Amino acid sequence: MGLGAPTGLVDTRAEYQHVFDIYVPIAIGVFALIVIATLLAVLVYRRRPPERAARWYEHDRLEGGYALLLVATVAFLLYITFTAEHRVDTVAARERPGLVVNVTGSKWEWHFNYPAYGIDLYSGAVGRQDLVVPTGEAIRFRLTSVDVIHAFWIPQLRYKHDLIPGSVQDSTLTFSRRGVFAGQCAEFCGLLHSDMIFDVRALSPAEFTTWARSQQAAGGGAA
Amino acid sequence: MSATAPAVTTVSRASSVFGAAASTDHKRIGLNMGLASLVFFLGGGVMALLMRTQLAQPHMQFVSDATYNELFTMHGSTMIFLFVTPMAMALAIYLVPLQIGASSIAAPRMVLAAFWIWLSGGIIMQLGWLTQEGAGRSGWFAYVPLSNSANTPGVGQDLWTVGVILAAAGLTIIGGCVLATIARRRAPGMSVMRMPVFTWTQLVSALMVVGSFPVLILAMALLYAERLGAHVFIGYSGAIDYQDLFWFFGHPVVYVMFFPFLGAAAEVIAVNAHKRWFGYAAFVASMLAFAALSMSVWSHHMFTTGGVTNQYFAFTSTALVVPAGVEYFDMIATLIGGSILLRTSMLFALGFFLQFLIGGLSGIFIASPVLDYHAEDSYMIVAHFHYTLFAGSVFGFFAGIYHWFPKVTGARLREGLGRLHFVLLLIGTNMTFLPMFFLGNYGMPRRIADYPSHPGWGTLNLLETAGAGVIALAVATFLVNVVVSLRHRDAAGEDPWLGHTLEWATSSPPPRHNFERALPPITSYAPLLDLRQRAADRNGAAMTRVPAGRAGLGPTPQEDAP
Repeated sequence: MGLGAPTGLVDTRAEYQHVFDIYVPIAIGVFALIVIATLLAVLVYRRRPPERAARWYEHDRLEGGYALLLVATVAFLLYITFTAEHRVDTVAARERPGLVVNVTGSKWEWHFNYPAYGIDLYSGAVGRQDLVVPTGEAIRFRLTSVDVIHAFWIPQLRYKHDLIPGSVQDSTLTFSRRGVFAGQCAEFCGLLHSDMIFDVRALSPAEFTTWARSQQAAGGGAA
Repeated sequence: MSATAPAVTTVSRASSVFGAAASTDHKRIGLNMGLASLVFFLGGGVMALLMRTQLAQPHMQFVSDATYNELFTMHGSTMIFLFVTPMAMALAIYLVPLQIGASSIAAPRMVLAAFWIWLSGGIIMQLGWLTQEGAGRSGWFAYVPLSNSANTPGVGQDLWTVGVILAAAGLTIIGGCVLATIARRRAPGMSVMRMPVFTWTQLVSALMVVGSFPVLILAMALLYAERLGAHVFIGYSGAIDYQDLFWFFGHPVVYVMFFPFLGAAAEVIAVNAHKRWFGYAAFVASMLAFAALSMSVWSHHMFTTGGVTNQYFAFTSTALVVPAGVEYFDMIATLIGGSILLRTSMLFALGFFLQFLIGGLSGIFIASPVLDYHAEDSYMIVAHFHYTLFAGSVFGFFAGIYHWFPKVTGARLREGLGRLHFVLLLIGTNMTFLPMFFLGNYGMPRRIADYPSHPGWGTLNLLETAGAGVIALAVATFLVNVVVSLRHRDAAGEDPWLGHTLEWATSSPPPRHNFERALPPITSYAPLLDLRQRAADRNGAAMTRVPAGRAGLGPTPQEDAP
């Protein structure tokens, strides 16, 4: 499809942008068309004596043809959406992950656990540690919560998923470029919901390995 | 305030208050419910102003985090359960019997009881403010497990739950009575396909109330049991079950808050274009399709839970394009060929359609799971539903108020103040809600008492706060208009706008049993327009000679009515 990270992995940001770039121009076009048609009709037919108002009020073929146009629009939009949704939800889930991170939400803190490295990081109301990830690799986030529903949102990736107590759900995401990106809990979770924030630091794979080794040497991160 | 009970002069003030509170006249009950809803609207508006003050700049701490959480919970709950939905029902209680030529509503004592049950629910919900832990504070959809007694302890949340049960019970009963009225009380000649557009929208809305509100009552009763210590919603499946139950009500209610105002705006547009509503049959079909679909889309609120079939709900949600598209076609086709007067009611009706469009189009956007994975629970959602509910329904509500105020009170609202009200509300609405789309896309989640000072966030939030101030000015202008128009009355007469439907064929306000003269023949969904057109055909040559300009815009002489 020509989309996604150079590695061929599903890039949620690119999938979002692809659908966005089709939906939003259509929406703006429809909005402009209806506003212009309405205002023109008002201007043209303003302030005539009531007796001059037309009496027609139905046109079956016109209305039927228009309804078919709407159905075709729906079919087109759903085709675009289903194609992208299949990649984000199904294709990504089949990717072999380069890294697994257990993400546990609690009031009002994120706990990021790297089982392969024995690293634990925390971010939220009591302090901030970055979620550190490598670029260009599929990362499987295993999402769960110990108390109420939270949501793991990284706006840069245009993706979020809920953390619901009693379940572990996987989201497979790929960071295509290095940088520091904001993350935040998106599902209202009580008193300090707005403090449940974190930063993601995406490093090149080599930098990531170096970082992970240094964390292991330091004893698995601050706990 | 206008008193509709005529026999109060000889009795004491106390018994006249009791008479107004206990009247079984559907017009009195409708007016009482409308006024009570309006008070809740002002209360919910004050909560919104407090929130916007808190969010004007990052790190304001104008109110505590706990208070902020109560404010957004109670703002949403108040606006949905205590203002928009009951206001739509108040319009039904007052207008539907008149529009179908009935002398009363079906089961008036039940409607009266339901009004008081709803009102007591509203008051109980607000009593939470007086409790030690504060009012309800787990959001208007009160997801479990957040809303259980371990995570949200306190009497305030209990009062919220009970208040919602009572309010929903009252609204359900009223929905049933509106349905019964339409089924059983139509005047001779008013077949289903001759019912006015507004009555159709109320019928479809009442169908959804009866079909979906009991599910809310069930969900809230189970939540209350959960709060008392019963284990109802357990683990992951319990959390998903609650959301399914809640949104099975929570999405239809969005349309219950939309259809009646759509109907009001449609009537206003047809009357002010002096042309009957275009495509009536297709409109009726689209309303029924709308209602059916709107009861099949609920889990698009749950795309990010992993617990529902996203493709199915994306399909039903996107399919809403078809009935919604039909409405807009009908609106424009009604305008074309008409002779349009831009009265205040017309400005609000046009504002309703064009601004709701932003809410509708953004709704198609978030019906796509891929787009919703980003937009869900962000300020894009807040922008979306405020464009449907505030820029849409509230504009439709004001269109209806300017249109029917003369019928209810016998006096017109002032046009100058009305235009000022419209312009202020138009500016304030877009200042407040348009920037939210951008903030949401930049990553601002909803329901946060504070936000990081990312570049631009403070500026956009400040703009929104200023916009909320402009909305407050607009609402104040409206209240001034009501007071001025009632103090110095501009008598309206029976039919100030050349109405199309039966409520304009009786005095303003209508007498106790609505119609004292025989009803005009009901030949279509616009019987009064039929009368005028037939009269014009009779003296055809004379009427076509009317000079252009404002001539001939006066009210129809009532002698024309048989």
